[in-house]
Amino acid sequence: MNLIDISLEILSNAFLAIGLIFVFLGMLGLVRLPDVYNRLHTTTKIGTLGAFGVMMSILLKVGFSPIGVKAVTVGLFLLLTSPIAAHMIGRAAHRHGVCLCQESVIDEYEKACALKNKE
Amino acid sequence: MISMLTLSLTFMVLAIIPCIYRIIKGPSIPDRVIALDAMTTVIVVMLGIYSFDQGSVFFMDVALVLSIIAFVGTVTIAKYLDEGVVL
Amino acid sequence: MKRYISYAVILGLVWCFVHGTISFNNFVLGLIFAPFIIRPFKPLYNFKQDFSFGRAIKKIPAQARYFYVLIKEIIKANIIVAKIVLQPKINIKPGIIAVPIRTVTDLGITAIANTITLTPGTLTIDISDDRSVLYVHCIDASDPEAVARSIRNDLERYVLEAFE
Repeated sequence: MNLIDISLEILSNAFLAIGLIFVFLGMLGLVRLPDVYNRLHTTTKIGTLGAFGVMMSILLKVGFSPIGVKAVTVGLFLLLTSPIAAHMIGRAAHRHGVCLCQESVIDEYEKACALKNKE
Repeated sequence: MISMLTLSLTFMVLAIIPCIYRIIKGPSIPDRVIALDAMTTVIVVMLGIYSFDQGSVFFMDVALVLSIIAFVGTVTIAKYLDEGVVL
Repeated sequence: MKRYISYAVILGLVWCFVHGTISFNNFVLGLIFAPFIIRPFKPLYNFKQDFSFGRAIKKIPAQARYFYVLIKEIIKANIIVAKIVLQPKINIKPGIIAVPIRTVTDLGITAIANTITLTPGTLTIDISDDRSVLYVHCIDASDPEAVARSIRNDLERYVLEAFE
């Protein structure tokens, strides 16, 4: 009984630390990476998994009480909606005329759009 | 003795600073939208930790509603940039 | 009628989770409210396609395998992008590539697009008009053929099994 409590405590603290570090790295990538699409990569992937990790650690700490169940709801909602928001923002940025950064090597979407406009 | 709550909230406030830098500096509008969306994620995490520490369910309700509003707002701005109309 | 029952069960579970206490009374309350939500938004739920409980149950093992692969890929993706962010000098070759896909239904296309966004180094931007090509922003696009091949052979196979 006591051993289970201690192991749950250690596991939830580990989840909390990993989640906080991932959220911080995602926000750091927002400054360091060069253009809109690369910034979308960090906030969509790292930020979302970090938030999910923090919510799972709260669930492990309190069990299936109202706080824990709502924390899992928030985490699943973030995991479900962040790819959709990233997809909409990426398409809007490309149609709005934001260019890719200089390091980019290939852009087939640009070619497809030009072909469609010509017809 | 520094509690776990103080440490976590300080770390998350540090994570908000890059978002504010990007909102002010960002060369284009999509940059700012992404930064606002990311800032909302950080605030949701802060609300979750605070709710656990206070032992109150109501802050978790605030977090849920805030994440829904952030998603709807991002999609609305993206659609406005894309087509020029909202609905 | 079968559609109403299955969507009502899902919405009842969602009501339980949002309310915070998972109990039988809450589930029944959500079940009662569900048809009033489904009826005004009928175009969003595909009522035209035929539906049977047997086929939905038969897909559950494939969906479990798909979620296992998805969780594994998400953790791998996070480690890869975190490594890129922590490099002292950012050295990447991004680009947008075209990936042909085989899924045809709405649910399948949504699943493959969201899966691509959550897996290592790729992010869906748009789909072509005839719904056969996805445009994917890739953080390491030095070899477009390899990226397209890995998506087609690895991820899309699980999505086809689980949702088509």
